[in-house]
Amino acid sequence: MEILQVENLSFRYPKADQNALEKVSFSVQSGEFVVLCGHSGCGKTTLLRLLKKEIAPVGEKSGQILYRGNLRDVQFDAGKVGFVQQNPESQVVTDKVWHELAFGLENMGLPSEVIRRRVGEMASFFGIEGWFRQRTEQLSGGQKQILNLASVMAMQPSLLILDEPTGQLDPIAAADFIAALQKINRELGLTVLLSEHRLEEVFPIADRVIVLENGQVLLSDSPKNIGARLSEISKNHPMLCALPAAVRIWQGVGADLPCPLTVREGRDFLERNYTCRGKALPVPEIPNEAECAIELKNVWFRYEKDLPDVLRGVALKVPRGKIFSVLGGNGAGKTTLLNVMAGLEKAYRGRVSVGGKSIKDCKGSLYRNNLALLPQNPQTVFVKDSVRADLMEILKTMEISENEAKKRINAIADKLGISDLLCRHPYDISGGEQQKCALAKVLLSEPKILLLDEPTKGIDAFAKKNLKKILFELKREGMTVIMVTHDVEFAAECADICAFIFDGEVLCADMPQKFFAENSFYTTAANRMARGLWKNAVTCEQVIECCLEEGEKQ
Amino acid sequence: MRAFANVHPAVSMTYFLSVLLISMFLPHPILQTEALIGGALFCATLKKRGRAGDIGFYLILFVMIAITNPLFSHNGVTILFFLNGNPMTFEAFLYGISLAGMVVGVLLWCKAYSEIMTSDKFLYLFGKAVPKLSLVLSTALRFIPSYLRMSRQVGRAQKAMGLYAGKSLTDRVKNRMRVLAALVAWSLENAMDTSASMKARGYGKKGRTSFSLFRFRRSDGILLGACIFLLALPIVGAALGVTEFNYYPRVDKIETSFMALVIYTALGLLSLLPFILEVKEAVLWKYYRSKI
Amino acid sequence: MKKWISYGVLCLLIPALVLCGALLFKGKQYAWISLCVALLSCLPVFLQFEHKRADTKRLILIASMTALSVLGRIIFTPIPGFKPVTAMVVITALYFGSEAGFLTGALSALISNFWFGQGPWTPFQMFAWGILGLIAGLLASLLKRNIILLSLYGALSGILYSVIMDVWTVLWADGGFNLSRYVAALASSLPFTAIYALSSFIFLLLLGKPIGKILERVQTKYGI
Repeated sequence: MEILQVENLSFRYPKADQNALEKVSFSVQSGEFVVLCGHSGCGKTTLLRLLKKEIAPVGEKSGQILYRGNLRDVQFDAGKVGFVQQNPESQVVTDKVWHELAFGLENMGLPSEVIRRRVGEMASFFGIEGWFRQRTEQLSGGQKQILNLASVMAMQPSLLILDEPTGQLDPIAAADFIAALQKINRELGLTVLLSEHRLEEVFPIADRVIVLENGQVLLSDSPKNIGARLSEISKNHPMLCALPAAVRIWQGVGADLPCPLTVREGRDFLERNYTCRGKALPVPEIPNEAECAIELKNVWFRYEKDLPDVLRGVALKVPRGKIFSVLGGNGAGKTTLLNVMAGLEKAYRGRVSVGGKSIKDCKGSLYRNNLALLPQNPQTVFVKDSVRADLMEILKTMEISENEAKKRINAIADKLGISDLLCRHPYDISGGEQQKCALAKVLLSEPKILLLDEPTKGIDAFAKKNLKKILFELKREGMTVIMVTHDVEFAAECADICAFIFDGEVLCADMPQKFFAENSFYTTAANRMARGLWKNAVTCEQVIECCLEEGEKQ
Repeated sequence: MRAFANVHPAVSMTYFLSVLLISMFLPHPILQTEALIGGALFCATLKKRGRAGDIGFYLILFVMIAITNPLFSHNGVTILFFLNGNPMTFEAFLYGISLAGMVVGVLLWCKAYSEIMTSDKFLYLFGKAVPKLSLVLSTALRFIPSYLRMSRQVGRAQKAMGLYAGKSLTDRVKNRMRVLAALVAWSLENAMDTSASMKARGYGKKGRTSFSLFRFRRSDGILLGACIFLLALPIVGAALGVTEFNYYPRVDKIETSFMALVIYTALGLLSLLPFILEVKEAVLWKYYRSKI
Repeated sequence: MKKWISYGVLCLLIPALVLCGALLFKGKQYAWISLCVALLSCLPVFLQFEHKRADTKRLILIASMTALSVLGRIIFTPIPGFKPVTAMVVITALYFGSEAGFLTGALSALISNFWFGQGPWTPFQMFAWGILGLIAGLLASLLKRNIILLSLYGALSGILYSVIMDVWTVLWADGGFNLSRYVAALASSLPFTAIYALSSFIFLLLLGKPIGKILERVQTKYGI
């Protein structure tokens, strides 16, 4: 039975010159798991918010939204449609976990005994018992998002809408969240409508995928058919690079076979259909004699005297002019390591040298024209009310004349493709755009070494591709880039050298091909599929190359 | 501090208000001494860290207030000596001591109050009477730590761009101001997300209820009854003028009638109540442990 | 209807309590009465706010501004007396009205004392900051026009705050109003008052415009 029906829905924001949504029609069956994807700015959030009347944006609207065949205003109240937003932090209303779970139920006017029971039920379903009485501020991002989901679920909705809920989470927390969603869908039969840009985990469990483009429904089909239908539309459709690795490889080799979705299916697909003569891709050597941009020798760090060490004798050499990537799980000390390199935290033992000079000796000269850090959250970089004013500010403190400053701003804006964002307010633009603008501000201090903290957090596949291009260009100009990240796929594609940090120690540093080929779990999806078939194939492109060279089985 | 912290908020609030009211507004030497001792014993059971420093602070405060009173107040008939031509009186000294005892006592009780009446209990009590305000309070309380975290992140990000990274006072003040302004923009933007999340969960509909984890148990009822009874005695005493005590022009004699003794005992019990509960709990615990 | 009854009870009960207290605590009746006055003067604004229809955005904005001014009090702890609380309260009142100003002021006092310690001074701080916000809201159109005037108002409210708080110090300690002690209290808190007034002046001078712009933007963007 159809639970939700959208007919010819068009929407235009006040003062906008074109429609944000154009004649969108689709329907969702009861119990279905539907994934909505598309370029950022394609209207996903607008569409999802329109489906939830309490938070629907204001503007001109035409078309109909029907729930179970009724106009939604007739029967639907807040409890029946659950909504989870992207930012785990800002959705939490109260200061205690138990109170947050009860918040929606209080609004519905339920008596205490009913609330007590439902809250208890939800807490045990989602495994919250352990932190039930905690303060919400003490939770991790992943826990907060689970809490947001649980407190919506406590209201017993019949349709659950989620707007990029894993965008701000690390991969492990994201996988946990998706697993919880799958559990809800499978075990409770709840209808789920989810927009997402990280498709690796959700593709295999989705019943249907809807692709939005420029406010219109481009495709609506089962995940297995999406790859084929997209390449029918265009061989280089930009949406293709956002699909899971297995689908991308399948699409890249142009096979006429059923599309694999998971690593297991992908591996099976490769083994069955392609001959493997143990081809090994060549691995470039690390230039040994290269000058060091940053060098750490036996660095120890802890935040307070009584707290345990976060870094335990880190030794690391970052050669000049390379992209160096540090990978590791949560709490391994990645961000701390970066802060120590940036002089924001001081090691209590060991030596950090930047450009051959000890960090202790270059107090004032550490930052300008030398080293710059782009923090995890680009919003921390902005303090003014337009991007241009923010960029101007940093040049002003460098005592650069106004004309020269304007020139420099235009140059950097052209380079990063943010010319049309300069007049906008930093909070009116998307996450990917914010990041580019923040990068522009950081780059204006003309660093030779650029430190990036989790640069791919919260941005979609297109923005990632763009970032990769920018990083390559910076490298070509001779800049040293050091990034710490969870994102193995991005590191595999960008980095010249990858290092692995665990428990406060850097365990190994190597070229990405060797690095990932020697890991069996902590590696890219493409590598997990091609493991044992071809040596050193780490990215989708490399696997596709191997497939095409070795040829299909007869 | 487990015993009294686990009491129902309505009971502990009544308790604190009664003790504070009496020690603040009934200036009687016996009652104040009792309240002071009770407060000190209560605080002693609360926290282990930093007690030595606290004792020093309260002692200094006590002496300061006791000494300064005669400098300002020249009432009283028993003149001890003259200072700069002003008479220093015995009565003013005694009143100073009583004042100091009152101030320190109230401070001690407030400290205990802050420790026991955590924000969630406070919100629970006022959530029913003023639901909107208590929601504003609860949300603000939850925002503060996250704003604090963000302010640190913004500060670092600015420092790593070399903006106002100096150590001079102007640089420090300037930097903090920039951070504050940036924080305002960020927090209001996020606050709109929060309001969407509230509306999405049906906030603003009529007939909102208020839920809490607190349960009113039989023991809470007994405690509340005891508390009200013990409070009523000194109040009746005050109404009858038994607890009236004047320092000026001459220090009164401390009354020792039967009624007065009953009142002294009542307040003594009241102010020692948490301490007694604490000791009882500790003894019981030891006893159970020894039986295992 | 139920609400109105509860308001009525409150309005009768509280004066009765004040009267009884004043009769009972003869020695301390001024302190008692002043405490009740401080509490009572907060009540009408609180009750009015309760009674209005819930506008979620406004509610959250007040929570947010309250949190920000408490945060200001916390981040500037290393510089004694240099506190942006009054400035934040005044700015809130300028853009969101008297009521929001009063609430932000009063709630900031209440909440920050969860950190800095609650006590009988809490109602006074609530009243002092609240009333400064309320007045700023009434003068909004005037103060918005001229940044110097705004900063001067900030300095003045810094002084007023100390003056109000010292009344309480004296009443509480003496049980009656002792002028020489009041003057002494004012004098001893003079350096503190001066820094506080100066800091409010500087905060409003430097932050009045930028934060005002931010609030205006939020107002238009989200239609508040």
